[in-house]
Amino acid sequence: MGYKNTAREIVILLGLAVIAAFTVNYFSPTGISLVGQWDESKGIITANAKDDVVVVDLEIDDVKIAKQIYDIGKAVFVDARSREDYEDGHIKGAVSLPVGQFDESIDAFHDQYSTSSSIVIYCSGRTCEDSHRLAHLLLDEGYTNVTIMIDGYPGWGSEGYPIE
Amino acid sequence: MNKHLKRLFDNSRIEFAARWILGISFIYASFHKIIAPADFAKIIYGYDLFPGVLINLIAIVLPFVELFSGLALILGIYPRPAALIVNGMLLGFIIALSINLVRGHEFDCGCFWSGQTGYTSSVELLLVRDIIYFVMGLQVFLYGRRRKACIFRSE
Repeated sequence: MGYKNTAREIVILLGLAVIAAFTVNYFSPTGISLVGQWDESKGIITANAKDDVVVVDLEIDDVKIAKQIYDIGKAVFVDARSREDYEDGHIKGAVSLPVGQFDESIDAFHDQYSTSSSIVIYCSGRTCEDSHRLAHLLLDEGYTNVTIMIDGYPGWGSEGYPIE
Repeated sequence: MNKHLKRLFDNSRIEFAARWILGISFIYASFHKIIAPADFAKIIYGYDLFPGVLINLIAIVLPFVELFSGLALILGIYPRPAALIVNGMLLGFIIALSINLVRGHEFDCGCFWSGQTGYTSSVELLLVRDIIYFVMGLQVFLYGRRRKACIFRSE
């Protein structure tokens, strides 16, 4: 068999794969955009999927603004990371509410913080979607004043702000 | 070619087994990536090798190339070109893994499912596995005799 035939058959196989890929992606509920947001300097990274959890409107993209909110002392800072990560170090005074254990933890959280509380959620920074997932869950629970500090614990720590 | 090696490369049972092992592996590997392309895109980002503009396109297309070449190998539809495509992908994986192994970049390999850790301690194993797959692909590609159970043999 000649190289021409091999090349032709490769083109057929790859062509079918590409057509199927874009067709399935177009109709799939978990499909993604053709271009994602992969620049950490512009915000949290995301593939821009149809079921994307990232809501830019809730984001605080400057850790200094989060510190100003922290200094006013009225907002509760909520750590969306795992309990182990929280215990290894967290923003001073922050409350642990791991997004993976939301169902077990939300009642206790509810008892302590009313739905009108000002909440600032954080996780591990701009490669982490857990804050956004938690924000959706809290909004569904009726919390209305929810924001996300997208630089997360690493961003806060690198500024030398209080941790424990 | 060495006589023993030639016998191995001309063995129809080995060719059949290699096609099925590669086919099943690649179909399985494509499954989670097709279901959760956003997670796969994030894994590609974690490799820190590709420009942002290409990440989503790779995440959309690569799983289907894996699926189609896997199916082609198992069903025996253009097996030689399918083996060539599979080896092209394997070469890409081997290069990507090697670059990150050399520069000590920790990442999730995302080979079979999201969250599977491919941190530096096991990258060597992943490389060995991919090289074994590559040799299998080479056997399928170079095999010159009549193949078993093929729909479109074409050679």
